[in-house]
Amino acid sequence: MTELLAPAGDLERLKIAYLYGADAVYIGGRDYSLRANAKNFSLEEIKEATNFAHTLGKKIYVTVNIVFHDKNLKDLDNYLQTLKDYSVDAIIASDIVVVSKASKINLDVILSTQSSILNYSAIKFWQSLGVKRFVLGREASREDIIRIKKECQAELECFIHGAMCTSISGKCILSNYMTNRDSNRGGCAQICRWVFTTENKPDFTFMSKDLNMVTYIKDMLDIGVNSFKVEGRMRSIYYIATVIKCYREVIDKIKNNTLTKNDEIYYEKILDRVANRDTMPQFYQKFPGVNESYFNDRIEVSNQDFLGIVTGYKDGLIELEQRNYFKIGYIVEFIGPNMENITYTIKTIIDENNETLDVARHPQMKIYLPYDKPLPKYAMMRLKTIV
Amino acid sequence: MAYQLVLGKMKNKIIITINNLEDKEKYQTLGINLFAYPLKEFCVGIPNTFAWDVLDKDSYAFLNRIMDNKAIDELKEILPKLNVKGIIFDDLGVLELVKDMPFEKILYLSHFNTNVLSIELYLKYVDYVIISSDITKEETEYIVRCLKDKVILNALGYYPAMYSRRLLIDNYSKFHHIEKENPLVIENTQKKFMVYENEYGTVFYHMPLYNGLELMNLSAKYYFINTSFLTFEDIKKLLNNEYTEEYDTGFLYQETIYKLRGEEND
Repeated sequence: MTELLAPAGDLERLKIAYLYGADAVYIGGRDYSLRANAKNFSLEEIKEATNFAHTLGKKIYVTVNIVFHDKNLKDLDNYLQTLKDYSVDAIIASDIVVVSKASKINLDVILSTQSSILNYSAIKFWQSLGVKRFVLGREASREDIIRIKKECQAELECFIHGAMCTSISGKCILSNYMTNRDSNRGGCAQICRWVFTTENKPDFTFMSKDLNMVTYIKDMLDIGVNSFKVEGRMRSIYYIATVIKCYREVIDKIKNNTLTKNDEIYYEKILDRVANRDTMPQFYQKFPGVNESYFNDRIEVSNQDFLGIVTGYKDGLIELEQRNYFKIGYIVEFIGPNMENITYTIKTIIDENNETLDVARHPQMKIYLPYDKPLPKYAMMRLKTIV
Repeated sequence: MAYQLVLGKMKNKIIITINNLEDKEKYQTLGINLFAYPLKEFCVGIPNTFAWDVLDKDSYAFLNRIMDNKAIDELKEILPKLNVKGIIFDDLGVLELVKDMPFEKILYLSHFNTNVLSIELYLKYVDYVIISSDITKEETEYIVRCLKDKVILNALGYYPAMYSRRLLIDNYSKFHHIEKENPLVIENTQKKFMVYENEYGTVFYHMPLYNGLELMNLSAKYYFINTSFLTFEDIKKLLNNEYTEEYDTGFLYQETIYKLRGEEND
């Protein structure tokens, strides 16, 4: 089994993730999830999302991965039973009480990366409790993964893209001390991106660059990784669409034996453009050093590539909702589910009143662009990437 | 007044880490006889560690690393030769290795173990569980009331706020081409941390040190003292309530929040 696993912070992002090629999506409910300041899903939305996923023949996992204090346990039984009743495919958890309660009602558990697993012996412990799939710590090396696979024959889920905690997951309460927000119950304030002073030395920072495993996907497939996980339940629809589409194509090309070195270079460039930080492989092939972290010279780039999302097509016009400034003369690219990328030069912009414009300035305004073939809903228009 | 209990009947309930063998004799003069030895290959964030063959049948082995496969393999070799009273560990891979061994097993799962049910579940596999100090005094009291002498409380010492596998001081020093300072004290908005690194990673300790000696009035099995970065004199003063430096009580009286107000959480 090979699975491309996407994050989604709300229903729109969930639909985008599936449409752009995810085999499964993980979401958080409004309780018990580690991204408390993401919008997250109500129970009703979890039900809708699960039905949507299953209609497509895809999977959905719900995070129940906080570290529970006694008072948080109050409604846990009902919550897990509800998820079971909705037929979610699994929950993602780290606290043993959740694992135990879920297994009693035959609700599958994926052990969260919060459990900090880097060795086969820990996997064996959790296997004895009935856990079948494991999200390894992001610090796991290639050798670690191979050995774990060999010793345990477990389903392994590994992060392949997105932000990295500097800490081993589950081992950080800097947020608790700095902001009184409990990082292990969803309140993380990302203190590892803050700048600290020292008495007589340069400012101290310890922020990791992001993860990007494009060039190692084939190797990860070969060593038996089952699920390829993208980080980012708080990321935008454009980010999710772009990242999932890239990795979908990489995985499919590997399976068809058609992935070339040039393809890898192309996908890395696309992924770099959608990221707001540098990306690299981190712990997989070598121990990360100076180059894998930011110091005082970090520049976080706000990405303006995403120009609009296709909302319909009628009478030779693409209907588009604007997301970033564009104007006549721009060379853009349409990407979308189950379609080849289309390069397009903007020659005419029409607004809702059927008036032509030189510039589309306003986010979320309706725009119409002439085109002779229909484009699917949820296709996206971005600046053409020169590669 | 409450602290005098420490040197009274409570002295037998303290497990204390040691920084060198000489300290052991000094602590014995205070009536403390349960010693934890941080093991060299299996500890992170601790400057003074010991080879496994120094330990005797009255001592506890202390292992706080998150282990990779290599460390697990090395530990597997050592365990049959380890003649100790008990073993204190964080990684559940260690639990899998020691579950049938004839010594006390104490689970110190750093920031986990914050509720009764989870601790009860782990107690099926270990003898005692050290309760996280991320929770309030009220929450701690509730757990101790429910589980009594199956739990251990952090009583004293610098408390870990973050553990990274990366060599953060090393990287920082190399990047800036400056001499490596280890430990390194860092500060932001008047919050300080002591950062300490060894080959297995980097630990941030909150400053000032944590003093939870008031919890010794509860009926836990043992009270754990981590003496890293502290001297015997410091500990003696703390136990006798004569310590004049700053300390804090962690989250005993400071409940953390995790749901933010406003539309985002509606």
